[in-house]
Amino acid sequence: MSLLEIRAATKAFGSLIAVDAVSMAVETGQLRAIIGPNGAGKTTFFNLITGFFPPTAGQIMLDGQDITHANATKRVHMGLARTFQITEIFPELTVRENAQIAVEVATGFRTRPWISRGEAARVRDRIDELLTATGLTAQADRLVGEMSHGDQRAAEIAMALALRPRILLLDEPTAGMGEQETYQISRLIRQLHKQSGFTIVLIEHDMRVVFNLADRIMVLDQGRPLAEGTPAEIAADPAVQTAYLGKAEG
Amino acid sequence: MLTLVLFNIFNGVIIGLFYVLMALGLAMILNLSGVINFAHGNFLALGGYFAFMLIPYIGFWGALVVSPLIVGAIGLILERTIIRPLYTRDPVYSLLLTFGLAFIIQDICRTVWGSNGLPLTPPDSINQPISAQFFFLTGYRLFIIGIVVVTVAALFLFLRNSRLGLRIRAGTLDLETVSALGINVRLLRSFNFGLGIFLAGLAGVLAGGQIGLNPNMGDDLLLPAFIAIIVGGVGSLIGTLIGGIIIGVAAALTTVFFPSGSQVVIYVIMIVVLLVRPRGLLGEEGMLT
Amino acid sequence: MSSTTIGETFERRGSYRDKLALLLIWVVLLTVPLWLPAIGGYTSLAARILVFGLAAMGLNFLLGFTGVMSFGHAAYFGLGAYGCGLMLLYVTNSTLLAILAGILLGTVGGALFGALIVRRKGVYFAMLTIAFGEICYYIAYSWNSFTGGYDGLRGFQRQPIHLGPLVIDIQNNQTVFYFFVLAVFAVCVGIMALLLRSPFGRTLIAIRENQRRARFLGIPVERHIWMSFTISTFFASVAGALYALINNFADPTTLNYIISGDLVIMAVMGGMRSFWGPLIGAAIFVALQDYISSATVNWMSFVGLIFVIVVLFFPRGVLGYLRRIPL
Repeated sequence: MSLLEIRAATKAFGSLIAVDAVSMAVETGQLRAIIGPNGAGKTTFFNLITGFFPPTAGQIMLDGQDITHANATKRVHMGLARTFQITEIFPELTVRENAQIAVEVATGFRTRPWISRGEAARVRDRIDELLTATGLTAQADRLVGEMSHGDQRAAEIAMALALRPRILLLDEPTAGMGEQETYQISRLIRQLHKQSGFTIVLIEHDMRVVFNLADRIMVLDQGRPLAEGTPAEIAADPAVQTAYLGKAEG
Repeated sequence: MLTLVLFNIFNGVIIGLFYVLMALGLAMILNLSGVINFAHGNFLALGGYFAFMLIPYIGFWGALVVSPLIVGAIGLILERTIIRPLYTRDPVYSLLLTFGLAFIIQDICRTVWGSNGLPLTPPDSINQPISAQFFFLTGYRLFIIGIVVVTVAALFLFLRNSRLGLRIRAGTLDLETVSALGINVRLLRSFNFGLGIFLAGLAGVLAGGQIGLNPNMGDDLLLPAFIAIIVGGVGSLIGTLIGGIIIGVAAALTTVFFPSGSQVVIYVIMIVVLLVRPRGLLGEEGMLT
Repeated sequence: MSSTTIGETFERRGSYRDKLALLLIWVVLLTVPLWLPAIGGYTSLAARILVFGLAAMGLNFLLGFTGVMSFGHAAYFGLGAYGCGLMLLYVTNSTLLAILAGILLGTVGGALFGALIVRRKGVYFAMLTIAFGEICYYIAYSWNSFTGGYDGLRGFQRQPIHLGPLVIDIQNNQTVFYFFVLAVFAVCVGIMALLLRSPFGRTLIAIRENQRRARFLGIPVERHIWMSFTISTFFASVAGALYALINNFADPTTLNYIISGDLVIMAVMGGMRSFWGPLIGAAIFVALQDYISSATVNWMSFVGLIFVIVVLFFPRGVLGYLRRIPL
């Protein structure tokens, strides 16, 4: 049984069908990439998976459980963590503080008016763990809003990791980044996948990143699945080439 | 008995129309600019007072047209100067600002024209009773009904058919896109604000002829206007219209049977709507909600 | 304890200056009966400032720390006042029980109404809070037989408090009453500070800073907003109950939108993003309003001008500017 299974998910906004019967099965430990021209419905697809809004039709199963109508918060508790195309962080707080909020919520402390010294120490240790995993230890006390793009993304990923997710969903993690930062983030993702064994689904526009990291790639075009397969298969697929050559790339 | 019932219903219709006029102006400003105009009732009072000043020079008919225009222009200037800088900030600031404006305008009215009531007499030509049996059917009240109906119809026609109206409606749905299309959003907001205030000023002239002028005259209409918007649904002007009519009629009918309950019934309707259909009758989920 | 909420909530290294400021605040508050009469004030003015400061700080729990606007908090202030007054008038001689009754009335009202409206957002939410405030106001001035209508609720008196052999004469001794109010204030402020520095408090700041991110971290945003709302109404109703005791009087004006607006301007004037800001704002506003209303007949214009000037020129408030807190 796949860890995450989406069956013929469809999302219509009035007469505009943004996602049209898209299916995907993600196995534990895989890194899947979703690519496609702008407006292909990739982010909408993510929004369906993470519970941003309910699908017009179709089913979403997590580890055999039907989560199609569960709300976003519930899905987070069930193990879906996500980052956004435009980094969603707490810019006025430091990296450590950003992580602290994530860790405290993940540890179940979100309504606690007080935690013991031992509990606080555990939180601190976990924060340090996350900062090390994402390479942000040196910047722990910097305001996230003042950091470079790449570091902000790393902080966002750290927050997602705090939730001990079963699946990481990354929406264009290298969006708007230069060479150096793209390398930094894709190296981080690779580590999370290969060394820590996370299951990851990502949307990407940068083909080097995609072909470097992905086990399997799905191509969406105008809301519909165009092709699906290993990087080699996708690279050789003529339909994919047409879709990309015929449209402006983002 | 029948006369009494009809009298109350008729009064209810008149009051409902005032609610509608106020609520529409409030809603237009709320929908496009996200500002709750606490001073709306005070602009209504200004409309009445300006008419009072103008009547000796241009007569009632002149004042009916010119006074709301002046008040609307004042609203437009205020929007341009002190409200516009607040759009990018936390909405709490624009609320506090209109709050402060409400105090200032009310005090100005009190200082200039006194806290006692002033009369605003409509011309004899329309201020006649129409029917001997139905004494409450005065010409003036029918006149009010007529003006409000015409104004509301004109407003909806304007919003539906004119280019400017279309832009306003598009702006309430998605201001970013409208701006990206090259439309001057700032002018749009200013005009929209002025239009909303114009409606308040008009209501003031009409109300003045009915109940006389005093600095607090708009206060009793402000909260029902809010409730009309809540009941009808935020974001929908037709909803606001229906909301205003519903609460006006409900208040009127209640007066016949439970005179003291007529205000309460409006609140009860609001609570019921919140429980049963929280976004309002015609409100869209997610639109400002 | 620094006065920036973020600094305090996350235990950023508190500077020497912050600790000094905190000490200064408490010294000032504790010595009021000594210096206030000397500058032309009177102790019940100080009590009023504390009471409004508490209400404004309570409102700021929601407004400044959670980022949610309420323009109807006078409702809970007033419910607290009436609850306390009615209790003393009809039921009991115990001041403490009366205060508890006021707190109960205000907080339950807040919890219920909050649950009703919590799914609405932004200005719509604010509109609903205004409407509730006006409903309470209407009930207060219409239900003549019970609440005394327009004239307000009279005929009750704050009673001395008997704690075993100890009698705290808050009835006749103004100074003792002031310290009683200060004690209640201190307890409330302590609770507020505790909450803000807790994981729960941090989730509220998270909601303020980025609601979407908070939601996608697994924070049930609406539920936490409701909790924050209810807590803020708790503090507002404590303040209201104390207010009724200041003059042994409760009237409908404590409920209407003017007081609600006053509370917001106090929070903004002192600094929305700081812990002590609303108290400072309350001190300035209450003192100013007191002075203006006795100096001129046009006090309404001046109060309105205060609103306009603060919004346009001092949006970050006194402490906001002193500490360079960002908007």
